[in-house]
Amino acid sequence: MTSRVGDIGSLVFERGRRGSVRRALVILLIVASLILYVAGKVSIVQLGYRIEALEREKKELERANRSLRIEASSLSAPARIEEIATKRMGMVRPPKENVVTVKRKAASAE
Amino acid sequence: MERRGRILAVLLVMVLGYAAVALRLVYLQVYQRAELTDRAERQQERLVRLDAKRGTIYDRIGRELAVSLDVDSVYGIPSRIRNPRETAQRLSRILHENARVLERKLDGDRHFVWLSRKVDPGQARKIKELDSNVIGLQAEPRRFYPKKTLAGPVLGFTGMDNAGLEGLERVYDKHLRGASGWVVAEKDALGRTVFPGGPGFQYRLPKAGHDLILTIDEVIQHIAEKEIDAMLVRSRARGGYGIVMDPRTGEVLALAVRTIGRTTQPFNPNDPQRSRPDEWRNRCVTDAFEPGSIFKPFLAAAAIEEKKVHPLERFDCSAGKIQVADRTIKDAHENGVLTFTDVMAQSSNVGTIKVALRLGRELFSKYIAAFGFGSKTGVDLPGEIPGLVKDHRLWSGVSIASIAIGQEIGVTPLQVASAYCALANGGVLMKPYIVSEIVDRGGRESRKFQPQVVGRAISEDTCEKVSKMLQRVVEAGTGDKARPAGYTAAGKTGTAQKIDQRTGSYSKKDYVSSFVGFVPANSPRLVILVMVDSPEGVVYGGSVAAPVFKTIAEQSLAYLQVTPDDVGGRMLLVTR
Repeated sequence: MTSRVGDIGSLVFERGRRGSVRRALVILLIVASLILYVAGKVSIVQLGYRIEALEREKKELERANRSLRIEASSLSAPARIEEIATKRMGMVRPPKENVVTVKRKAASAE
Repeated sequence: MERRGRILAVLLVMVLGYAAVALRLVYLQVYQRAELTDRAERQQERLVRLDAKRGTIYDRIGRELAVSLDVDSVYGIPSRIRNPRETAQRLSRILHENARVLERKLDGDRHFVWLSRKVDPGQARKIKELDSNVIGLQAEPRRFYPKKTLAGPVLGFTGMDNAGLEGLERVYDKHLRGASGWVVAEKDALGRTVFPGGPGFQYRLPKAGHDLILTIDEVIQHIAEKEIDAMLVRSRARGGYGIVMDPRTGEVLALAVRTIGRTTQPFNPNDPQRSRPDEWRNRCVTDAFEPGSIFKPFLAAAAIEEKKVHPLERFDCSAGKIQVADRTIKDAHENGVLTFTDVMAQSSNVGTIKVALRLGRELFSKYIAAFGFGSKTGVDLPGEIPGLVKDHRLWSGVSIASIAIGQEIGVTPLQVASAYCALANGGVLMKPYIVSEIVDRGGRESRKFQPQVVGRAISEDTCEKVSKMLQRVVEAGTGDKARPAGYTAAGKTGTAQKIDQRTGSYSKKDYVSSFVGFVPANSPRLVILVMVDSPEGVVYGGSVAAPVFKTIAEQSLAYLQVTPDDVGGRMLLVTR
């Protein structure tokens, strides 16, 4: 009798334990899904911050590159080159007497 | 019973409380849904404008003449500023702007105000160092002209909002501007921008503006401007204009416009506020001048084409004057009997008028139109005028004589240069143009402009004869100072009296001195026009403008590696 009662008790107990385990598992699953979902969202936001930072860096680099190109273009202005050549380096335009034109003989005449 | 009553009362209160919350929820979620969603979006979302890059302007071989770069502008949030005076004073030291003006901007409850637009990188760095949450920086594109004053009036400039206001920037604004884009970004609790990505991510990418490739050559442009500047100093003139064109195509290789304004500094498109409108106006297309003797070759071309005269026919110019209707027109120098070629070489008014009277007004006006005078050239520059050419039926008795020597007619320098291109290329009038290509960075809508023939003005045979006459002007006539070393040249001098605005008659001291011609004479590669407005001292075109033509021609031909065709005995023949 005792054993039967004990059997029934353990059965009830087992049933109850299985139910709470299942319940715990379900809760765990829900919590895990929520954590995963939130983690995903956080990761997207963090990636967004990174993208923004990289975008900013890219923009700065592009701006620096363009600024250097403008500087190079400005430094290669013919007026500046001519001034350096004539004033700093003492270069002069060759007078007519010093120019000898070398004319290539036409192909047909060869 | 009493206890039960209390329980019921508490229950009722709770039910009513929950019901109130539920009703409020329904009210907010259902009735006010649209408005609240909208408000939330406004708070959480931010429309980030993505500015399109304005196209770059290049010269004919890809050297940058106008470029855009993002620079910082300074803004303030007046509604959050506690002490506008102190902030204004601090900013004034960095931005070099009036502290009172800044204080006025910062005083009030507005949420945004521009304090200084497009500041220098150094100023932007100092503003950043303030690390203020009420003063900030916003990047905006700014136009830079790296070659500074080079071709300033041709390129024009843009305004604060980046729209083209003058020159090519204005004419091609639609192509250069591009289309702005946007992206809907989210803001976090700290106001930082987050790009959400994923489905529903709304954006429109900006479309960059198209680039322009010009026919202008940076080096030839520099040569022309440098020589015009030097001449302005020598002659103390009010302005100088130089045009270099390729007569075979109508391409404008250089267009130099120099007007002496408040300062002697030429117009710099990087800083347009410092100049007055008349300093950046492109007078080569917007102003008409009486051309003077540089107009005579067109009469010669018309008379030879109509077989009314032969280049070697002799004319007696010994009287030095000629009576036409009620006016006596004189020669500047005494001449004897001259061939028609020498009439041009010595620029005799008497000989020219005799030929004009023989040609007649109808035929003469037909050729004036055929060379493009009286109508716009159609060049892609703003503000072009057609000049002033009267219908021949309205000419007075003296008009034919006046027009033959370049008076009573208004022409733009570009019209003259284009007409000389026709004399240089065998008689075909070409449409001048300054943009050779519009390039789409995406590569889809690129457009190339080809040389366009307007019409034939005269025959090749006549052209050859006129060209020989113009060579004589340079070899033994009034244009001997225009002869470039190593090259043959053909051209014509001009010295036109300006109209005195006060008296309405020809001025005794203000002239327009000019020289127009082409080099090398036998196989023309360049047409060069030099026009000097009101020189002081010596005023003759042969003395003021011809030497400028010579130096521009020598340097430009050497740069283009054109083989000299007039080198005397100093040419070596080598076999390779």
